[in-house]
Amino acid sequence: MLRKFTLWAASALIAFASLNFELQEAPGDKLIGVWEPSNGRARVKIDRIGTKYYGRIVWLIEPNDPETGLPKTDKNNPDPALKNVPLKGYRMLKDFVYQADGTWSEGTIYDPLNGSTYNCVIKMKDKNTLDIRGYIGVQALGRTDVWKRLAVQPAKK
Amino acid sequence: MNTRFLLLALGCALGSFHVDAQTDTASSEDYSLYDNLGFADSGAKRFCSPKIEGLSPAKLISLGYDFQGGYAIDAGDLFAADGTSLLAPGSVAQTTATYGLRAGFNIPVISKTNIVWQMGANYWNTNFLYAPDPSSITPNPLHQTLDEHGIRTAGVNTTLFKPLDSKQFLLFQGSADLSGTYGASLMPLDYLKYSAALIYGRRPTEKKQWGVGVARTYRVGEINYIPVVLYNSTDAVNKWGAEVLFPARAHVRRTINPRNMIFAGYELEGQSYRLWRNPASGFELRDEELEIRRGEARLRMVYEFSLKDFIWLSVQAGYRVNYRFDVDRLVGGTEIYRAFGLLRDDAYAQVNGLGNPFYLNVSLNLVSP
Repeated sequence: MLRKFTLWAASALIAFASLNFELQEAPGDKLIGVWEPSNGRARVKIDRIGTKYYGRIVWLIEPNDPETGLPKTDKNNPDPALKNVPLKGYRMLKDFVYQADGTWSEGTIYDPLNGSTYNCVIKMKDKNTLDIRGYIGVQALGRTDVWKRLAVQPAKK
Repeated sequence: MNTRFLLLALGCALGSFHVDAQTDTASSEDYSLYDNLGFADSGAKRFCSPKIEGLSPAKLISLGYDFQGGYAIDAGDLFAADGTSLLAPGSVAQTTATYGLRAGFNIPVISKTNIVWQMGANYWNTNFLYAPDPSSITPNPLHQTLDEHGIRTAGVNTTLFKPLDSKQFLLFQGSADLSGTYGASLMPLDYLKYSAALIYGRRPTEKKQWGVGVARTYRVGEINYIPVVLYNSTDAVNKWGAEVLFPARAHVRRTINPRNMIFAGYELEGQSYRLWRNPASGFELRDEELEIRRGEARLRMVYEFSLKDFIWLSVQAGYRVNYRFDVDRLVGGTEIYRAFGLLRDDAYAQVNGLGNPFYLNVSLNLVSP
């Protein structure tokens, strides 16, 4: 009986520890939220998983493919196995690590319009504005896009 | 038993992280939650982007080679400044090829939602391969100059995109070029040629932008001020499009996929080339200031595709149609603004004719994100 209880307690402790690891607020968590790229065509929700940050598409201005009328998929992905993956839910920001200098780096950004993945660094200009710089090898060879934080709008009277 | 169970529990806990981190799509979710969102910062504004969907990728770095087949160059009589004294009689010589390097880069300096600024530089080198050596058959200085020195252009350029709101924008493009028969050392900066264009545009949808403006250009060889029209569009299914900056260039685009595109259209090329310190070839600058006014149209097909990731190969083939290759004399050091003959009709120092060859251009490009 004691042995069973010990086992249950140990597994519960591990589960709690891992949950706590996930929920405990980290310095980089100010990145978490829903953001809109400058073209306004998508909305991206950024979350933390473990110690890294990921962003997935949660809204598209044009959710359906005009050619097929079906929900858009990642049809421009060079990997044929991924062409049928739905764009909604697609993880386009991956593996960002919060750094001591206040940036999130070591991650990648994926552009579904051309199927390319770029190195990327994220800087927070203010609490509602991100500079997202996709680049090729060195940051000089890149382009910065400005993303704005989104929030639930108060209902119109 | 205890240890095994603990390891299993730990493995399950860590494994759940791993799976989440590597999966590209999340499990089903009520995405309608994200429909009614607005900017958290109530003062934030939306601005239109410089690009439209489906547009061919911008080239950050380009290294290319341009080759024209053989053609005849009919060099006219060369007259002195009085317009009547013959300095050199005209003659026809044959080239077997015209070829050279074309390199350029274009780097974003500022890239914000409300302003985009890019700087770039370019170098074009054109060599003329005569057969036989023109000095053996004619004393005409044009042939000797082209044979010995070729022509080249080195310049810097800048592009400024200023969105006014989510639909309207201003676009400014400017460049300063040194063009001439100079060699390893550049010519004095006094000989810089400035070109510029200012366009007001609208971007009614994500797949269309248009604009109108004015340009100071050397595209037809000599200085001109002309109206310009910008029009870029992509059809609903991203298969066809147009990329136009009239009159400089206009292309129809067929998108096989975002990494394979075919274009058909034309581009006007031109510049004024200072004939610089070539006393041995007859164009002596001690008392003459002469420039070649080169203007040509390139009717072409272009195939651009991704070799690997961001490295693209561009292959263009077409027909080069000469519009002007005349030698002009500067009056008091100032170039003549003829306005297509409407303002002035000063005679050129030398009126020349070029045959029209097929040409090929191949370039390796690093394209922008």
